[in-house]
Amino acid sequence: MTLMSREGSNPQIYRLLDEWNANHELQIRATLVPQRDFMTKFGVSLAGGVVPDLVAIDLIYVPRFTSIGQLIDITDIVQAMPFADSLVPSHMRLSSWQGKNYGLPFAVEASFLLYNKQLFRAAGLDPERAPLNWEEIYDYAQRINAVGPDTFGFYFSGACGGCAIFTLAPLIWASGGDIADEAFTTSSIDSAEVRAALQFYRRMWDAGFVPPGAVVDGGENFTAAFLTGKIGMIASGAFVIEQLETNYSHLDYGVALLPGQHGGAASFAGGDVIAIPKKAKYVEEAREFLHWFAERDVQERNYAAFRVLPVRLDLAGHPAYANPAMQVALETLRIGRTPMTPKYNDLIGDLNGPWSLLIQQAIFGDDMQQAIEDADRRFQEIMDE
Amino acid sequence: MNEKTSAGRSVAPWRASRKLIGFLFVLPSVVFVLVMLVTPLCLTIWMSLHKWPLFGEIEFAGWRNYSKVLADVQFWKSLWFTTEYTLTVTPLILGTAFCLALLVKGGYRNVGLFRTAYFLPVVIGFAASSLLWVWMLNDQLGIVNRILLDLGIIDAPVVWLGRKSTALLSINLSIVWKVVGLSMIILLSGMQAISREIIEAASIDGAGSLRRITHITVPMIRRSIALVLVITVVGSYLAFDHFYIMTRGGPQNETITAVYWIFTNSFTYFKMGYGAALSMILLVMLLVLSVAQIRLLEKNQHG
Repeated sequence: MTLMSREGSNPQIYRLLDEWNANHELQIRATLVPQRDFMTKFGVSLAGGVVPDLVAIDLIYVPRFTSIGQLIDITDIVQAMPFADSLVPSHMRLSSWQGKNYGLPFAVEASFLLYNKQLFRAAGLDPERAPLNWEEIYDYAQRINAVGPDTFGFYFSGACGGCAIFTLAPLIWASGGDIADEAFTTSSIDSAEVRAALQFYRRMWDAGFVPPGAVVDGGENFTAAFLTGKIGMIASGAFVIEQLETNYSHLDYGVALLPGQHGGAASFAGGDVIAIPKKAKYVEEAREFLHWFAERDVQERNYAAFRVLPVRLDLAGHPAYANPAMQVALETLRIGRTPMTPKYNDLIGDLNGPWSLLIQQAIFGDDMQQAIEDADRRFQEIMDE
Repeated sequence: MNEKTSAGRSVAPWRASRKLIGFLFVLPSVVFVLVMLVTPLCLTIWMSLHKWPLFGEIEFAGWRNYSKVLADVQFWKSLWFTTEYTLTVTPLILGTAFCLALLVKGGYRNVGLFRTAYFLPVVIGFAASSLLWVWMLNDQLGIVNRILLDLGIIDAPVVWLGRKSTALLSINLSIVWKVVGLSMIILLSGMQAISREIIEAASIDGAGSLRRITHITVPMIRRSIALVLVITVVGSYLAFDHFYIMTRGGPQNETITAVYWIFTNSFTYFKMGYGAALSMILLVMLLVLSVAQIRLLEKNQHG
C-alpha cells in the first residue's frame, strides 16, 4: 500500500514506515510529491481513481476534500482513542466536517517569532527579552540593521502567499482582526487590522530592514535566510529548531510568541493531516495504521526522539521537549489557528491568487489602498462563487 | 486460357498487396497522429463544452465557457503579455541565430566545436535551464550580479526578477541562450544550400560581404527564415515553464503568460472545461498567426 505526502513536511515519515514495515506483512511505500504540485497530483489521482491508501494532506486543504466526500469517515477511530482530547486542536477542527471526523494530525507545526541572540547582543538588546508588540519589533529591527552593512533586522518571503499566511496572519489575529469571518462567507481584508499589519511590513521594507531579495522569494529562502546568521528576526516554525540544533549549533537563537500590534499573541497552526481516500484499496490496513501511529510509544520513538513535535499534547512533558524553544513551539500548537474553508487554495494558496497578490502589491507596490480594495473584492467574489 | 487467367489473377493480388504494404508503412504514423493528436484534440473540444471540475459532477455547458472568456480580464492581460514577450524575444532569437550562423558557416578549424557549443543548451530541459538562471540571477549569490559589480556597471546587486521590465529582459536572455542553437542550425543549413557560384559571381561583380548578406543570403534562405519565425512565434506564445519557474507569474502577477493562465485554471482551480476552452482559443489564434506568417513570406518571394 502507499502513503502520499508532500516533500519536506514530514521528517518522521521514513522512520515511521520503517518501523511499520518491519512488523507487518503488508508494506507501506511513501510517495513524496513536491510541495507546490501536491494539490495537482492528488487531485489528478482522485479524478483518475488510482488513489493512495493513505494520504498526508496539508491541513488547510482538508476541508476541500471532506466537503466533497472524498475521504473516509474515521470518527470511530478518534472516539476509541483515550487521548483524543489531547490531539492538536487546529488539525482536528480542520479534519472535521458536519460533526464527523476524517483525519488525524500527522505533522504539526505552528508559527512563532525566531530571533538571533548574537545579533541582539551586538545591537545592545537583551537577548532574553523578545519584542512584545510591533513597535518593539520595529525598534529592534532598526537597531540590528545598524549593526553592520550585511545584517538585516527582519525577513519575510515576499512572493509567497503560503508563507505570509503563516507569518503575517498571526499578527492580524493577535491584534483582534482577521481576513474573513469564521465561516469564510464575508471578507474582512479591507479592515483596520489587516491594513495595519500590511503597513507594518511595508514600513520595515521601506526602511531597508529586509534584504532586497525578499521581494522575489517564493519560499525557497524561508528558513535559509535566518540560518545565514545575518537576520535579526523572522516568523518561522518548529521545523527550523531541529535544523538549528543539529547543523547550526553555533547560532544562538531565541523563540517567542508572535505579538499583536499592542501586545497579545497568536499563531498559525500548519502541517499535515493523515486521512484515507474514498477509493483506497487497503482500507482496513490503513485504519490500523491510524490507530497505531498515534500510540504513545510510537510517538516517543519516532517523533519525540528526533525533536519532532508530537501529534498529541499530553506528550509535552517528554524530556525531548525540555528545550525552552520546544516549549514555546508546543504552546503555539495549543493557541494555533488555521483558516477553514474549502476555497483555501483559490483564496490564499494560489501563487497568483488574491492573497499572494495583496502581499506583493501592498508591501512592494505603489498603491496599498487600491491593492487592499482589489483583494477584498476578489475574496468576496471567490467566497460567493 | 489457363495461362491467361492465371496471369490475370496474379496481377490483381499483387496490386492489392502493394496497396496493403503501402498502408502498413503509413499505419504507424496514422495511429500515432490519431492517438497523440486527433484524440486529445477532440477530447479538448469536448471538455471545453462542459463544466468539468477535476473531481465532482461534469455538466454540459454549451458555449458558456467561451462566453466567460470575454470577461476574463486576466486572460486578455496574459495574452497581451505573451504578445509583448513574443515581440521582444523573436527578433532577439532571429538576429542572434543569424549572426551565429554566419559565424559558424565558414570551414575554418574547430568550427564544429563552436557549432556544438552554441547548440548545447538546446538539449537541456526548460526546467533545468530555468533553475540555472534563477540562481545565476540571484541577488546575493548569483554570478550575473557579481560580474556586473566587479566591472563597475552596477553599484548594488539587482533583483533581476523583482520588476517586470528586468524580469522580462532576464527571461528573454535566458531563452535566447536556451533555444538559439536550433534556429542557428536551421539558418545554417539554408546558407549551406546556397550554391557557391552565385556568391562567387557576386564577389567578382564587386559586392562586399554586407551586400552579399543582404542581397543574396537573406533572400535565398527566406524559407529557412520563415521556418525559424514560425517555430519561434509559436514557441513563444506557448511559453510556460520558464515563467512558472523563474517568476511564478510575478512580480504582482505581471508575467503570467497565456499558457500559465490555462495551467492555473486547469490545475490550480481545477476548472478543466474552462482551461480547455482557453486552449482552443489559443490554438485558433496560433493557427491564424502561423498561416499568415507563411503566406506573407511566400508572397514576398513571388512578388
